[in-house]
Amino acid sequence: MARRDIPEINAGSMADIAFLLLIFFLVTTTMDKDQAYVRNIPKRVEVNTPPIDVEKRDILAIRANFNNELMVRDEKMSNPDDISERVVEFYTHNELTNDLSSNFPLYSRISLPEIQGNIDASLADAEATEATPGVTDDIIDFKYNILKEWEKKKRSLQLYGKKQLPEISPQAHIRIEVQKGTEYGLFSKIQSELEEAIYFLRDDAAKEIFGESYSKIKSRYSLDKKKDPKMDKEKLDLLKILYPDRFIEVTPTK
Amino acid sequence: MSKFKKENKKGAPGVNTSSLPDIVFMLLFFFMVATTSKETDPSVKVVQPEGFRTTDMTPYKQRSEIDFIYLGKPLNSARAEKYKEKGMEYLLFMDNVAQSNPDDLYNVNAIKRWKLDKFESKPARMSEPIESVITCVKADKGAPSGIIFDIRKELQDIDALTIAYAVRDNGNI
Repeated sequence: MARRDIPEINAGSMADIAFLLLIFFLVTTTMDKDQAYVRNIPKRVEVNTPPIDVEKRDILAIRANFNNELMVRDEKMSNPDDISERVVEFYTHNELTNDLSSNFPLYSRISLPEIQGNIDASLADAEATEATPGVTDDIIDFKYNILKEWEKKKRSLQLYGKKQLPEISPQAHIRIEVQKGTEYGLFSKIQSELEEAIYFLRDDAAKEIFGESYSKIKSRYSLDKKKDPKMDKEKLDLLKILYPDRFIEVTPTK
Repeated sequence: MSKFKKENKKGAPGVNTSSLPDIVFMLLFFFMVATTSKETDPSVKVVQPEGFRTTDMTPYKQRSEIDFIYLGKPLNSARAEKYKEKGMEYLLFMDNVAQSNPDDLYNVNAIKRWKLDKFESKPARMSEPIESVITCVKADKGAPSGIIFDIRKELQDIDALTIAYAVRDNGNI
């Protein structure tokens, strides 16, 4: 039999078909990522304990009313972009030397031998509590957590490489006080400004201590949490101790 | 002279386009993999405010450790009228709600049931405790913050203690 050539299939329209599919997917999919500010809600408490007195210097209150007017530390503010500067000032004013006459939170400085002393004391306390009969597990856990906190500080100071670890007053915090009618746009703007300020502070510190940017450390840690080859967890812990993000969102009453 | 004329007669050779479909398919697959399609179509209109230094929610979405609540004006004008009479201009929309009464969807009181239902329907291997399952609030620019705090209160009651305020980030991602 005579061999006949198989006729070739014309594939010229293949590209058109693929283009059609491509354009379909381009049109129907959304590229925007979901971006948000993650916050923790405080745990509900059954027992009403009287509120602790906090010194005025330790509070940075950001207030917004139903007319969307802003107030930071009893001072009216027309431009919400300026909030981050105030937050940075709140953290850094007394960072190098404590100025008692200022209205900003004070810093404490703790050295390695002092931390070691605290570790020994809290370890002894935790062990003594564990040995005491009739103590609940909660209390034992609580004591061991204190010990863990001190050990974390010890590692942080070793990483920091200086003689003393500066720490902002443990009561220093930022309050967001909005009213029920405040627009979400302004509320999220305040959150954005806080995030901006914290980022600025931690980024500066990260560049000075580790020579790399804060976002780089953070993203590297989130990619490889388990192995963590460059000890990023400890780096982030140190930055968190230097500039803690303690935000309180006050539930509006009116 | 005649030498040059001969070569000119040949004309330009045709470009081989047989690899064009491959290139286009490659692009197609890239887009198919890189994009995520919308899961729900909220029945409220949300124009998000802008913000910087946000956290990307994509990894949480991939691990389905996140639930979305939308807060905005209703798209349906009849519904808008109905609720406006009750003094509710902004309404909630929860994704994947299975409720007998469709009006429940827009009620703050439905959050607890919605969140617990979603949490229980997740397979056991996703053993993330409810405290760390994020509830992401996608609210309209003009929505009153009071509703956000109402949502917070509901979540606090069932110990779902992580909330996220969604914004649009035009800055560096």
